[in-house]
Amino acid sequence: MARVELHDIRKSFGKVEVIHGIDLTIEDGEFCVFVGPSGCGKSTLLRIISGLEEQTSGRIEIDGRDVGNLEPVERDIAMVFQSYALYPHLTVGENIGFGLSLARKPKAEIAEAVNRVAETLQLGHLLDRRPKELSGGQRQRVAIGRAIVRDPKVFLFDEPLSNLDAALRSQMRIELTDLHAQLGSTMIYVTHDQVEAMTMADKIVVLKDGAIEQVGTPMELYDKPATPFVAGFIGSPKMNLFDGDVAAQKGCEVYGIRPEHIRLTDDGDWHGRVRLVERLGADTIVHAEMETFGPMIIRTDGQSELREGREIRAAPMPEREFRFGKS
Amino acid sequence: MRRKTPYPYWFVAPAAIIFTVLFTIPTVTSLYFALTRWDLFSQTFIGFDNFVQFFREPGLTRGLINTVIFAGLTSGLKTVLGLLLAVLLTAGIFAQGFLRAVVFFPVLVSTIGVGLTFTELMHPTDGAINMGLSFFGIDGPGWLTNPDLALISVALVDVWRGVGLATLIYIAGLASISPEYYEAARMDGATRLQQYWRVTVPLVRPATTTVILLSLIGGMRLFDLIWAMTRGGPGFSSDVLASVIYKQYQAGFYGLSTAGNVILFILIGVLVMPLVYWLNRREVDL
Repeated sequence: MARVELHDIRKSFGKVEVIHGIDLTIEDGEFCVFVGPSGCGKSTLLRIISGLEEQTSGRIEIDGRDVGNLEPVERDIAMVFQSYALYPHLTVGENIGFGLSLARKPKAEIAEAVNRVAETLQLGHLLDRRPKELSGGQRQRVAIGRAIVRDPKVFLFDEPLSNLDAALRSQMRIELTDLHAQLGSTMIYVTHDQVEAMTMADKIVVLKDGAIEQVGTPMELYDKPATPFVAGFIGSPKMNLFDGDVAAQKGCEVYGIRPEHIRLTDDGDWHGRVRLVERLGADTIVHAEMETFGPMIIRTDGQSELREGREIRAAPMPEREFRFGKS
Repeated sequence: MRRKTPYPYWFVAPAAIIFTVLFTIPTVTSLYFALTRWDLFSQTFIGFDNFVQFFREPGLTRGLINTVIFAGLTSGLKTVLGLLLAVLLTAGIFAQGFLRAVVFFPVLVSTIGVGLTFTELMHPTDGAINMGLSFFGIDGPGWLTNPDLALISVALVDVWRGVGLATLIYIAGLASISPEYYEAARMDGATRLQQYWRVTVPLVRPATTTVILLSLIGGMRLFDLIWAMTRGGPGFSSDVLASVIYKQYQAGFYGLSTAGNVILFILIGVLVMPLVYWLNRREVDL
């Protein structure tokens, strides 16, 4: 059991409050992703949960136990850092067993635990190497190995994939998801990449300016964004959002339509001109300049033969339009 | 195939000329003069007689041993104290900037000034150090007059004078260690002491290499502080190679003096080269 509860967590640096009273429950075994733009407070919140940063006020409970004043190691959690923080003077095996050796566990016990983890993460053949001799993905796995060797209740990940290239990131997303399924532990994961959030999370917490904007499953956030911010943040390409006259005509403060929910059709009411075409293979992203609306992004199929400068007509899928009150 | 042109050598030439004139020629010349008995007007080739004489004279070999002791002691103390001071002065303590300046200040002071000041402070009866000790009922030793203590006393003054530079190098070394290493260690349950031994000491190794090498070479070549404080005395008890060389030169034994220089050059090479190799093997890339 490892249920993490945050009650009215606040954090100030000097006179500036950066976390404004966060209440959140992360259930046992859940993969929870904190997502938001830079400076939204997601890493600070993670560090508060880890114990590396002290909250100004509020309560943190793990399995009902107040851990707010405990040292990181006493909270029974492990953390994977953005830079991996692998000790360059130690081998892979020594890095993985570092925490156990600090706790003065018997050498045989450390070796057994390290081998078990190495097997799980397919690191067995790398145990005698130093971090600088590893690829980015292998370093990532070692960092994860160091976290899981202690068998903690909760895993924290602070943007662990941000140093990897796109292909490796995609592979590591799958490996992390597999690992979560295998371990069944509670995991809290910070990222600014909404694709990581959507693909890995059981629950996404969208943060903005130190407060929670919305909590939900990936599809809840995609289908029912509570605010224009969430609507714009979740989904790629981002949702087209319009305020002013366009929104007023639609009877709301902000009108939104996702690029994939716009049909290119000859009888469409919206007309404009193609400004730029991005061909992704499976999809084509059309950047258009529409009358009334202005710039608009439309996603269409990969075989589209649209060219820059061509006139288009389009229409929204009616059940897919979003109307928000004041943002 | 690309044609070789002399063009790139023009860029190397100024440095090569300066190096040749100021280092290569004097070194080769001194190697030759070490094999002669010479004065300003004539020289006689005598083979290795100067070197044989150097190692036969107890006063001269004492200087050789003292040089190694002095360099080892000062280098060791500067390394240990420098790291401890750097850790203290990067820990966010009160008046940190001021204290850093205080620690570094002795580096800026003239060595002769430091030597003369400490000679007065270490005076057996009138010196401030022994007067301070007598206040607590302790009979202070003859810091510079006791043959068993003189070399160590000068070494301690050299450490006082040079630890600021070691501290500065270590502060730069500590600044290059990512805080995430310490955070990861905290997550793993490392105490402050464990963080120091298991994270700081290994990761600051490049700075340690620099400090050890600089202080070891500086210690072996040291002359001015010894000369200002003891002139190698009492007797030959605090003589080091550099002061021996100077004394031989003063006495007109130019060949013997030059042989001492060659021995010092070789000694530095013999001690430092393997050390550099060993330390570099143990260094880590952060």
